[in-house]
Order: sequence, then structure tokens, then C-alpha cells
Amino acid sequence: MEFAWTEEQQAYRTRVKGALDELLPDDWDSHYAPQGYGSADQINFSREFCPKLAERGLLVRHWPAEWGGESADPWEQFILAEEMKWRGEPRGPQYMNVNWLGPVLMKYGTPEQQEEHLGRIRRGEVIWCQGYSEPGAGTDLAALQTRAERKGNGYVVNGQKIWTSYSRLADFCFLLARTGQGRKDISIFLVPMDTPGIEVKPFPGLVSDGHLNEVFFTDVEVPGSARVGEEGKAWDIITYALSFERVGIPRYHVGRKLLDKAIAQLAREGRGDDPVIKARVGRIVAKFEAARLLTYVVVDQRAKGAGPSVDANISRITASEACTDLTNFLIEYVPDCLTTGDPVLREFHRGNIAATIAAGTYELQLNLIARGALDLPRGN
Amino acid sequence: MDMELTGEQRLLVEAVEALGSRWQAMPPGHERDYAHYEANLQGALAEGGFLRAGLDMGMLEAALVAIEVSRLPVVTSVGASALVAAVLTGDVPDGPLAIVGGDWRKAQRMLPVATHALALHGERALLLDLAGVAVAPVASVYAYPYGRFAAEPDWSAATDIGDAATLRQWARVAIACEAAGAAESAVAVTVAHVKERFAFGRAIGSYQAVQHRLAQCHQIARAMRFLALHAAWSGEATAADIAATYAQDHVNKLAFDLHQFSGGMGVTCEYQLHFFSYRLRALQGELGGADGAASGVYDRLWGAAA
Repeated sequence: MEFAWTEEQQAYRTRVKGALDELLPDDWDSHYAPQGYGSADQINFSREFCPKLAERGLLVRHWPAEWGGESADPWEQFILAEEMKWRGEPRGPQYMNVNWLGPVLMKYGTPEQQEEHLGRIRRGEVIWCQGYSEPGAGTDLAALQTRAERKGNGYVVNGQKIWTSYSRLADFCFLLARTGQGRKDISIFLVPMDTPGIEVKPFPGLVSDGHLNEVFFTDVEVPGSARVGEEGKAWDIITYALSFERVGIPRYHVGRKLLDKAIAQLAREGRGDDPVIKARVGRIVAKFEAARLLTYVVVDQRAKGAGPSVDANISRITASEACTDLTNFLIEYVPDCLTTGDPVLREFHRGNIAATIAAGTYELQLNLIARGALDLPRGN
Repeated sequence: MDMELTGEQRLLVEAVEALGSRWQAMPPGHERDYAHYEANLQGALAEGGFLRAGLDMGMLEAALVAIEVSRLPVVTSVGASALVAAVLTGDVPDGPLAIVGGDWRKAQRMLPVATHALALHGERALLLDLAGVAVAPVASVYAYPYGRFAAEPDWSAATDIGDAATLRQWARVAIACEAAGAAESAVAVTVAHVKERFAFGRAIGSYQAVQHRLAQCHQIARAMRFLALHAAWSGEATAADIAATYAQDHVNKLAFDLHQFSGGMGVTCEYQLHFFSYRLRALQGELGGADGAASGVYDRLWGAAA
């Protein structure tokens, strides 16, 4: 066990920070970052930013060399993710391309799919959305109703997705659709979003802009070549993808930055020495640090080639509790964060309203810990 | 960054585990005690050189020893010895130690069995030889022995071993380590119970309402462990405050849930939970508790801004 970063890792972090300083515009912190990475401005910015990151060899360094990466240690992926998160995730939705979508296609995609998509992702020029959740299927993903019916060599898709982040501006959808009668007869399709019959309707909500969309599929024709893996065998692929997603966002890394902002404001208001605030803030810092270390446990396992473990679920709930405590603190002690106050604090609050729901609810994580770590018996 | 134990660290932990296996259950005659200081284990740890792990290997290794020993139902002064004394005295007395502070008239943890006290005395840290110092045992349901000085000790006879801040820092690391070990065992005792205890025709551990809270308790114990290890490794006061904050802040949750799911058995002395849960309770309020440690975090990180 060794908590120190190696010299190489420290140098890499410095390199990433330097690239961010050079590549982000002067109004990044004031204009782009407060809007959140699902906003139209950030999504469009990511189309300029990610290719530049790619040119510097910083977008997919953790990918295997055969796919254009440098087979870099997964620790580098997390160092990069931490620094991106610290600055407000200028990769926009493309963080998920490089974190899990690319690796899923490397493992399960056909050579044609790999040829078509991995290059675009590697060059930072494509936006994807996830067609997972539906009005009647969120955490219970196997309940989804969108159907892909066989028609010749292809499929015809009908159904509806919801909460589909980034879909307004996405180029492709990683779509789950039912292809059989069994509960888990689900297949995955890679669908261009400009395919006739796809309609995206944004709707307002509490969470950050760009995340709440409905996507309607009406007689959408999809070629058989767009299916990933065998028909009706999506479950292993989904599990593989989710194992990346659950620790993919280093939420713990922004806690200190946001507290810096909140405390600077409280100090200006003469409340910096309030013992109640001190006690509350110290606890939040402790939770964020717990989340950081428990996430590092998972990264370390990944770096050593271990498969998905329950530690990913443990790190996830630790991080989401820390974020929830911080959002609560902001509302109680810096309430103007949702009105006239710092827009970065507002964005953090709005971005984390669904932190315990998205990518597998908090309760689902607890179920998995109860089984995987404690071996508690199933109910009847 | 490597979150797994090295081969050497693993051997160390396995050796402590093997040494402690004799005390996985309470020694005969002590099964229904509130607390039992185990002099033989303290002696074996000293004799085996485990309490000197911090001096011979590193403070992370000392923390691993402290956590592992704290998983046992019997008590030693492993945190004070392996962590606090190692840093402040550069040596580790063989006998058990007490960390004392605050009002000398109040009960102090480990005092009736300790040979020396590591004392917070104003801005200084003192090592006080307790030979000849009158100490009266204090009865308590806390799972450590408690005692108090019969009269104010002669502090002038004590040895100055450094500044109080350093003692406080490492005492917080010791609290975090002992809490982590106790928390792990408290969760394990309760998980075993809910698998065997049936209610309404089902093991109570099969109810989701129980599972979710135990999963949270497991997560807490795991976080306590890594924060404690990090605090020992880093040697930084902020990390020590963070580890103590997290540990002390989560004792209420652990004590409530684990006793709740242990039901009536959990409030008896026939069942092992109290050896761990009331050790956690004892640690919860030390050195200002979670509020004190959390304020320390804040002051170190934002004192200038405030």
C-alpha cells in the first residue's frame, strides 16, 4: 500500500493542468463552466476542445495502443478525469465516450463498428447519448419496452426513451431495445440520431440543462450491422458498461473547490468563524476524502486487471453521500446559490440533484453491497 | 498509488491475526465483562515487536497493526503504543499506555491498567510514569477500562516529549484506527446474527430494510479503515483530523443500526457486540469528538480565509 503519486503521475497531472490552462478560453470559468457539461454551449465547445486534447495525446491515453491509445495506466485516466472535473468537465459528454463507450466497442463491437466509431471517439469529434431509461424502466432496466422488430436484415425500432442526456445535440445513440419475449431479451444498437423517425423533445426540470429529454422512436429502421453483440444478449455488455460508469465521474474532486467558493462567501459575510459551519464543513471534507480513497481502491483494482467488484458500489454511495451533504450545506448556509449567488455553486447543486438516482440508484448500490460484500440472504 | 497491501504488509497483518486468534472470543471468566484489558496480548504484541512496527517499518504499518488488534473483543493500548508513543517518544514502552487530557479529576480511558500516561498538558505533551501514582478504577459500560487520578499528578516529574498538537494529531490517528477495527468487527458480529435470527419466517438479514442499513455500515467501516491508514501514512495533521472526524461522526449510525438489528441480544453481555460498539462509543467523544476534529479540518484548510 502506497498513497503517494509516482513522479510520472505527478508529471502527467502537471501536463494535463497545463493543457487545460492553454486550451480553455478566458471566459471558460465565467461563461461555460457554470452552465454544466450537458449544456448546448459546453457540448458544442467539446467539439473544439476534444480534438485539441486528442492532438496532444490526452484524450484516450488509457486506450490500448491498437486502438490509438498509449495503453496508459488507468490511474492516468483518473488523473485526467480529476483535472477535467476540477475545471468543469470541458470534455462535455465526451467523457463517457472515452471512459466506457469506446472500451465497450473494443470488447464487443464488430470490426466494422470499431472501424466506424472508435476513430471518431479517439479524435474527439462525436457526441453520444445513452438510450437506456424509459418512462417505465429506470433502475429496473430489464423492464424497458422499446422494441426492435426484425425486418429483413435489419430492425424497426419503436418506443420512447427519457432522461436522455445530450440527445438534442448527439450524433449517435447507444440504444437498448427489446428483441424478444423474455425479460432480458434485450439488444444494443448504435443508431445515428439523424435517422428518420427519431424525435428529441427537451423538457424543463430541476437538474442541469441538457439532461432532460424525451427521445421518440417511430418506425426507425436500423441495419442489423448496428447491433452490438448477439441478439438478446445485451445484459453482459450493459453490466460491463455500468461497471465503468459507476466510478467514471470523480465527483469527490470538486468538493474542495466548491467549499473554497462557499467559505470565501461566508467569510465575506462575516460568518467564517461560525463553529457550527466549521463542524459541518469538516464533516463534508471527511466524506469527500473517504470517497476519494474508496474510488482509488477501484482504480487500483482496474489497474491490476481485476474485474468489476463491489468496491465500485461502495465508492459510488460514498461519493453520492458527500455530494448530497454538500448540496444540503449550500442550501442551508449559502442559499443564494440558487438565486443571485455563485453560478458554479448553483450548477453543482443542480448537477447533483440526481446523483443518487442516475447510473443505478443509491438503493440499488446498497442491494449490491448487501449481496456482494455481506452475503446477506435474498428475500422470498 | 497502490491500495493493496504489499507482501510484507500482508505478512505483518497475518502475523498479528495469528497472534490474536487466541482472543477471538473472550477469555474464560470474562465473557460477560463490560471490558477486558488483556495483558497477555499486550505482552505478546510487545514481545513480538508489533508495537514497534511504526519505528521499524513505517507508520502505515503501525496503523495496520492497530486496526487488526482492534478487531478483537479484548482491549490493549495498541493505538497509544504503536502510533502515539512511537512518534512522540521514539520508543515504545512495553506496558500499556493511557492518553490523558482535560480535567485530571475526570475518568480517563485505560488509566487503571496503564504503566505510563501520554498527557496533554497545556501546550506540551508529557510522558508520566504511573508507578506510585494512585488511580481509582471507575465502573462504566464503555468497553475500555476507566480510572481516575486520586490526586493531581506531579506533572513536574513527567518527561516532556513534544508539543501537544503532535500528541493530539497522533491520538486522533489512534482513535481512527481503533474505531476502524472495532467497526469492522461490530458489523461482522451483526451480519452473522441477522443471517441466523429469524422473524416472521425469514432471516432478518433477508429484509431489504435491514440489508440497506448494514450495507451502509459496511461502507462506513471501509471508509474508516482507508482514512485511518492514509492519516498514518501521510503524517499530516489535516489527514488525522479528517480520519477522526469521519470515524467519530459515524459512531451514532453504527451504534444505532447494529444494536437495532441485534435486538434484545444486543443489550446483553452474552453477545459480543458491546465489546465493539461501546469501544466506539468511548472513542466517539474523545479530543472534542467529531466537532473538534472537524473544526480542526476547517481551520487548517480555511483558517486564513475565515
